Amino acid sequence: MATLLNADVRKQIEDAFAPMKESVHVMFFGQKENCEYCADAQQLLEEVVEISEKISMTIYDLDDDADIAKNYNVDKAPGIVIAAKDGDVISDFGVRFAGIPSGHEFTSLIQDIILVSGRDSHLSDDTRDFLKALTEPVLLQVFVTPT
Amino acid sequence: MVQAEMVGAMEFQELSMKHNVSGVPQTTINDGAANVVGAVPESNMLAELKRITAK
Repeated sequence: MATLLNADVRKQIEDAFAPMKESVHVMFFGQKENCEYCADAQQLLEEVVEISEKISMTIYDLDDDADIAKNYNVDKAPGIVIAAKDGDVISDFGVRFAGIPSGHEFTSLIQDIILVSGRDSHLSDDTRDFLKALTEPVLLQVFVTPT
Repeated sequence: MVQAEMVGAMEFQELSMKHNVSGVPQTTINDGAANVVGAVPESNMLAELKRITAK
């Protein structure tokens, strides 16, 4: 199968990933039916994950692995969880992608991986204090288009 | 406690329609409790979160 990332892009990502300190674990959720972009999204992630030994990935099916999907609050395919990994422990920071991360969103994907690897949200103290005091869950859904 | 999901508006049109997405990025908080259009500064997003959670 032809690769989705050409050598130039691969090199750019390699450079971007070079300073990564901590490990990142990507969970991919596909679906067998009615998922136009699942195969492409999975291949794209496989090519990205391959670039750094600090990134690992597991592949799930939204239906066959319904328990895991529910656990991670994933209800769309392709669905992607970008989590932290320390030894065998996976820590979920709540970072999700729903849909294929192409176009601008590909940059967001790479940046999210680097952000999770840094274990720092870069949010202000004000924001951190507010979020720490939350008593009810908050779901932020950022709608985007590929261009 | 906080989950942030990037949603492809073209791929999930039903959800986009439900939240009246016309410009991107649009951040929909808690299934429509608030909608923030545009890439706003962090302080604006925080203000919006404070507003809806204060209810």
